[in-house]
Amino acid sequence: MFPNLDFVGGWRIWFAISGALLLLSAGAIGIGRLNLGIDFQGGAQFTVVNAESQPSDEEITGALPSGIDREAVLIQTLDEDGYEVRTPVLSEGERRAAQDALSQVFGVQAGEVGVTNVSAAFGGQVRNQALQAVAAALIVIVVFISFRFEFGFALAAMVALVHDILMTVGFYALVGREVSLVTVVAILTVLGYSIYDTIIIFDRIRENSPTAGYNRRRFDEMVNVSIRQVVRRSIYTSVFSLIPITALLIFGEATLADFAFALLVGIAAGTYSSIFIASPVLALYKAWRGGRLRSPRTA
Amino acid sequence: MGSRRNNLIILGLVVVLLGVATYLIFIRQPVTESTQLGLDLQGGVSAQLKGTQTGGGKVTREEMELASNLIRQRIDRLGVAEPDVRVQGQDQITVQIPGVENPEEVIDIIGSTAQLGFYRVLDSEIQQGIPQDEVQDARTEIEEDLKDDDAFQDGDAKVLFEESPMPGGGGGTYVAGYVLNETPDMTGDAIQQDGATVEPNPTTGKRQVSIQLTGDGGRQFGDLTQEIVSEAAPTGQPGLLAISLDEDVISAPQVTEPIIGGQVSISNDGLPEGLPEDEATQLETVLNTGALPVSMEVVAQNTVGPTLGTASLRSGLTAGLVGFALVLVLLLVIYRALGLVADLALLIYGFLLWGIIVAVPVTMTLPGIAGIVLSVGIAADANIVIFERIKEEIRRGKTSRTAIAAGYEKGFRAILDGNATTIITAFILFALSSSTVRGFAVLLVIGVVVSMFTAVLVTRALLGLLSDRGVHLPPGMMGVSKKSIGQQQPERVR
Repeated sequence: MFPNLDFVGGWRIWFAISGALLLLSAGAIGIGRLNLGIDFQGGAQFTVVNAESQPSDEEITGALPSGIDREAVLIQTLDEDGYEVRTPVLSEGERRAAQDALSQVFGVQAGEVGVTNVSAAFGGQVRNQALQAVAAALIVIVVFISFRFEFGFALAAMVALVHDILMTVGFYALVGREVSLVTVVAILTVLGYSIYDTIIIFDRIRENSPTAGYNRRRFDEMVNVSIRQVVRRSIYTSVFSLIPITALLIFGEATLADFAFALLVGIAAGTYSSIFIASPVLALYKAWRGGRLRSPRTA
Repeated sequence: MGSRRNNLIILGLVVVLLGVATYLIFIRQPVTESTQLGLDLQGGVSAQLKGTQTGGGKVTREEMELASNLIRQRIDRLGVAEPDVRVQGQDQITVQIPGVENPEEVIDIIGSTAQLGFYRVLDSEIQQGIPQDEVQDARTEIEEDLKDDDAFQDGDAKVLFEESPMPGGGGGTYVAGYVLNETPDMTGDAIQQDGATVEPNPTTGKRQVSIQLTGDGGRQFGDLTQEIVSEAAPTGQPGLLAISLDEDVISAPQVTEPIIGGQVSISNDGLPEGLPEDEATQLETVLNTGALPVSMEVVAQNTVGPTLGTASLRSGLTAGLVGFALVLVLLLVIYRALGLVADLALLIYGFLLWGIIVAVPVTMTLPGIAGIVLSVGIAADANIVIFERIKEEIRRGKTSRTAIAAGYEKGFRAILDGNATTIITAFILFALSSSTVRGFAVLLVIGVVVSMFTAVLVTRALLGLLSDRGVHLPPGMMGVSKKSIGQQQPERVR
């Protein structure tokens, strides 16, 4: 596959494509499109499925008890007759009143209105835990790859990882999907997947590497050949992972669909970055090291 | 390729494991009951509680363990199914109760510190027949009035409230505010072990909760009621005794004479049946299990209705099955005979995974389903890595037998490294995250480990057995076109 594509030599093009997409993502996050869910900010969320009646948004907000800030209420429809109503943090009494009111508006029993209520402090704690988990995973993976391969591989894999995470979060912001705890799970999965994909390619590069001596032209060509040898597998694997994920996106309800969307973007980015980001970065790093090691001798 | 004996051992093991899985899933109990569903799939309530010292100090891990035991006892007394109560971190407790019908009541019971207090009422004010949405205003008004009062300004005092439906069913709410000493005159320590019972009042027949006090408690109570009577004597009005649970007054009976003998009862004579049944049971439960050592605040709460749970389960299953079926078809299309072997291995994988989920048992949740879906991709991938290697070797002109051997040998290292990183991420997720994320991490690890077994060892044994039987797989049956054989040579690294 791709017998004439120069994966390493064309790095400026690949980096430019990624750079443009990342800039777009950063822009979306910058203008505040990232929709943090109640898991991170605190708040209450009411979920109704199989509603008997289909009230308008005004009717729904109107039914809520008077203490709740109307401006901050978010209403989303799920499928045909499901609704999700999000409000700021509520006291115990307010929550109950809101639950009763909503069950009347939607014509269902109070017990059928699902409620998630998260205090602001707990939301902050969840956010910190999530960031810690991502950071810890990154560090451990660098150590693992440095140990199994060498530092240059770890560095390149890390660049690809950060690329994939930013891409996933950025696309999430672009389409305005809600970031919840499940999104964090998805991002960590993308992290695991991306590293796995990169390692399959690196494994081949390691296998094809000459035991001694570094020559830039030879090394770059060897990386290109290695990629050509495994690129079919990379694409197949992506396709095979994306099939069940697309099924989740289509058939899954809100939570699963959000999860699937993050994985869809992340895995696509992961496949791209293993080939077009991680491998060129590795080659460039080798060239930089090689040049630095040799220059005193030639001088 | 492993010897013929090894192949037979592996396949024999697979048969035994499949038998065990079948027993666990289908025979031990009806199949509909075999898999334990999380509360996001069957409905239920979960709550995250944060413990704080009443004075604001730090709580210890021991206190939280004690509190979680008490909470478990309280839920057990309610007789609802299989609660999961565990301490998380330094000062938090997660409670998960699947399939519960009255989540509100349960949260009330697990969250209340259940510190009982007896007070002499210093002053009080009552508003009657208040409509539901004006209760808050009434409370504010009463509080302002009472805070101007001499009784409040004289010393260390606080205002607590009592709210109940209007006696006689007149509609609206009965709201009363009481000025009380800051610290209770007596606490729940005075109650005898298991001393609270729900029973009808001997004379009126109305439902009440009777409390038997300890010997010491009885004497203290005698003194307290004596004090109430004598303090009230000059005013000409009967004195009041306020009984509070945490920061709410639950009853404030008139005391006309000292009560000796250590018997106290809490009742609500305003209602035709006395205390409402659920309120009485709650009271009995919390009083008998005793007070929690720390105050509990509900920081996060999640209630899932049963309909929502079923809908999530159905959508998750549909997605999982459709994805699984498409993966099987695609493997067959691309790898032909090899694909058939891989499909068989994937089916075995799915079944063994289910068996493990039932055996452990792992509670299935939505993130868990996501973990399984992802692990199906990983399981398929292990076969892709190996099969692509095999095809590559065949294109280089090797016989199918040597190509298969080389494919497994060379592919395995990449698969091992790749899966190791996945497992590392899953462990980190498990260690650092909340229980939602844990379900995902657990299933991902189990899935990856099982997939290494089925996708590598089982497929190799199957292929080995085929070639031992003299079945020769022509390249076409492995998805390699005749034309491409030999063309791979120039691609070799020089």
